Amino acid sequence: MNPIRKKRLYSILLVFLFSVSGISLILYSLNSNLDYFFTPTELKNVDIPSEKRIKIGGMVLEDSVQRYKSEISFIITDYENSINVVFEGIVPDLFKEGSGVVALGFIKNEIFYAQEVLAKHDENYMPPNLNLENDN
Amino acid sequence: MIIEISHFLSILSTGLFFLVGSFSLSTSNTPYTSNLISRTYSHAFLFLLSSFLIYIWLAITDNFSVQYIANHSNSALPIFYKISSIWSAHEGSMFLWIFFLALWGFIFNINIKNTEVLKPKTIGVISLIIVGFLLFLLITSNPFITILPIAPLNGADINPVLQDPALAIHPPTLYLGYVGFVIPFACSLAFLINGDPSAKWEQLVNKWSVSAWVFLTVGITLGSWWAYYELGWGGYWFWDPVENVALMPWLAATAFLHSLSVSIKSSQLRTWTILLSITVFSLSLFGAFIVRSGIIDSVHSFANDPQRGLYLLAFIAVIIAASLSLFILRFSLIKPSGNIKTFSKQSFISINNIFFGTLIFSVMLGVVYPLIYEYLYDQKISVGAPFYNAIFIPIVILASLFLFFSVDSKWSRSINFKIFTKPIVLSLIFSVIITFAIHFVFKTNNVAILLSIFVGLLVIIRYLIEVSISLIFKKYLNPFSAIAHFALGLLLVSISFNSLLSTERALNIKINEFEEYKDLTIYFKDIRVRKGSNFDAVKAEFNIKDKNGNSFDLSPEKRRYFTRGQITTETAIHVSPLKDIYLTIGDQLEDGSWIVNVQINFLIRWIWFSACLMAFAGIVLVSTNRKSNI
Repeated sequence: MNPIRKKRLYSILLVFLFSVSGISLILYSLNSNLDYFFTPTELKNVDIPSEKRIKIGGMVLEDSVQRYKSEISFIITDYENSINVVFEGIVPDLFKEGSGVVALGFIKNEIFYAQEVLAKHDENYMPPNLNLENDN
Repeated sequence: MIIEISHFLSILSTGLFFLVGSFSLSTSNTPYTSNLISRTYSHAFLFLLSSFLIYIWLAITDNFSVQYIANHSNSALPIFYKISSIWSAHEGSMFLWIFFLALWGFIFNINIKNTEVLKPKTIGVISLIIVGFLLFLLITSNPFITILPIAPLNGADINPVLQDPALAIHPPTLYLGYVGFVIPFACSLAFLINGDPSAKWEQLVNKWSVSAWVFLTVGITLGSWWAYYELGWGGYWFWDPVENVALMPWLAATAFLHSLSVSIKSSQLRTWTILLSITVFSLSLFGAFIVRSGIIDSVHSFANDPQRGLYLLAFIAVIIAASLSLFILRFSLIKPSGNIKTFSKQSFISINNIFFGTLIFSVMLGVVYPLIYEYLYDQKISVGAPFYNAIFIPIVILASLFLFFSVDSKWSRSINFKIFTKPIVLSLIFSVIITFAIHFVFKTNNVAILLSIFVGLLVIIRYLIEVSISLIFKKYLNPFSAIAHFALGLLLVSISFNSLLSTERALNIKINEFEEYKDLTIYFKDIRVRKGSNFDAVKAEFNIKDKNGNSFDLSPEKRRYFTRGQITTETAIHVSPLKDIYLTIGDQLEDGSWIVNVQINFLIRWIWFSACLMAFAGIVLVSTNRKSNI
C-alpha cells in the first residue's frame, strides 16, 4: 500500500472508531435513562427495582382521592388492577376522579411515589394502552 | 361568499407557483426566463397574499359561516385575538406557515437582482415547496370549509391558554424562523442543480440565514417564557418533544452559520455547509410533521389525523430524498480547496460542528426512539431530562472550552497559536477564583454545575477582555461573534445558578394564617370569587415579606372559562433582578386550607435575556455591511 493510502486508511479508521464509541456512549446513556410506561395490570407482571424511574398511566379511581396537608394520595386503576399513588404538590387542573392520569416516579413497598402528575389538556385524552368500555 | 374568493385565490396561486417551479427547473438561464420567473412568482405571491388578507378580514368581521373561524374565534374577543385565533389551531397555522414561506421567497425575489445566476432555480425550488404545502392545506386541512346555509351566531372561542400576547406572537415568530431556512436550502439546491462550482451561493444566503436564525431564537425564547407564566410549568425548558423539535433546527442552524462562515472565507467545508443547509430545513419540516401529525402527545398537537401525518411524512421524504440524491450526484463538483490547518479558525469550527452534530443526533434519538421502541416491543417508554442532561452538559462544557481557546485563532493559519496568552491566563485565574468562591459560598459539590459555571465564566471574562482590548487599541473585533458568544457564557452561568439555587414547595395555608418558606413569610389575606368577561375565577391574595423587609402582594387565580368549561391556572410572579417568586394555587382541602405552590426561581430572566442577546447579535450582523461573520 502506498503511504498516502495508508494515511487515509488510518484517518478513516480513526473517524470510524470515534463515531462508534461516541454513538455507543449516547445509546448507553439513553438506555439507562429511559422511563418505561406501565398500566397497573402490566405492573403486576414485571419486577421493577425501587430506584428505577417509571411512568404509570390509568384512571383516577372514584372516591380514592385523599389529601393530607400538601400531600395527595389516590389510586390509579385500569379497572382490573390498581396501585396507590402518593404525591406532594399541586395536581394539574384537569386532574379529577374518573379521568385519565399519568404519573412519573418510583415504586417503594407497593406504593408509587410520584414526582410529577400529568393530566392531559385534551378532555378526551386517554392514557395510552387503555381502551376501556366504561369511558365516556 | 367572500370566503370562496379567498379559497379560489389560494388555488390559483397554487397553480401559478407550480408553473414557476416547473418552468424554472426545466429551462436554462436566459435574461428573459429569469425575468419571467421573477415576475410570475411575485404575481403568485400577490394572489396568496390577497387570499390570506381576506381570511384575516373574515376573522376580524366575525364571519362564522367559515367553519374554522366559527370553531376558534368569538365575537367577544378583542381584534388582536381574533387575528391570532387564525393560528390557534391546525388549519389556520398551516395557512400562516405557507404564507410566511411564500413571503420569504417574495422578499428574496425583490431583493436579489435577476442577473444573479442562482436566482431562478432558487425561486423554482421555493415555489415547488410552496406547492407541496398548499396541496397539503387544500387537500387534508382546508381552512376554507363553510357551514352553510345556517351559520352559527357566535364562535366557539379561542383556547383560553392561547389568549395571551406572548402566544399571539410566539407561533408567527417561530414559523418565520422555521421557514426562513428555505432560502439557504433552496439556494444550495440551486447551486447543485446549476453545477457551476464557482457560483457563490454561500455569500448570497448569509444574511438571510442569520435573519431566520434570529426569528428562530426569539420564537423559542417566547415559547419558553409563555410556558413559564401562562401554562404554569414553572421552568424554562422541559425537554418536551415539541420543544425538542424546535431545538433541533436551532442547533443545526447554529452549526450551519458557523460552517457557512468558513465556506465564505475560504471555500472549505463546502460539502458540510450544503449538507447542513439541507439538514436545517429537513429538521424544520420534521418539526412540522411531529407537531401536526399528533404522533406525540403534547400541548401543541391539535388533532390526531393520520392522513395529515402520512402526507407530511411522504412530502418530507420526497424533499430529503431529492436533495440528498442531488447532493450525491454533484458531490465531485464541490471538492473542498485545500486541507484545514490545525489550530486555524476553520479547525475549531469543524470541531464545533462535530459537537453540534452529536447534540442534534442525541435529541433526535430522544424524540424518535420511543416511537421505534413502541413499534418494536409494544412497550411505551419516554425519554426525560436525565438523558438530555447526560449528553448536553459534558458536550456544551467541552464545546465552550474549545470556544475559549479558539478566540485567538486565525483564518487559514496555524502559526502564532499559543495556548497560554495573557487574556487566557487572566480569564483562567479569575474564573477559577470565582468558581471556588461559589463552591464555598453556596456549599455545593455538584461538579456538573461548578464546571458549567467555570466554562461560562471563562467565555464571559475572555470576551470582556477582548472587548476592552478592541476598544482601547482600536483593534477589530467581530461584534456578532463577540455578543453571541458572550451571551452563550451568560446563558451557561444563568442556567447553572438556576438549577443550583431554585427551589419549590407545596404549602397548605388557611386564610389569615402565616407560613414560612426559606426567607419568605407568606400571609394568606383573602380568597374570593371574581367574574371576568368570559370566565369565573377564584382569586387568592397573599402578602409576602422577605428577610430584607420587602413586602409585596401576589394574587394567583384559577379560572373556569364559560365556552369550553376549561380550567386554567393563572400564576402570580414577583420579578426581581436575581429571582422570581412564583405562586400558583391548587385545590381546597376539607379543613378549609388551600394548597399553594411556591417556587423561587433564580436568574430565570437572565436565561431569556441571554437568548435575546444572541438574537440581538444576529440583528447586529444583518444590519452591518461587513461581509464576513464569526
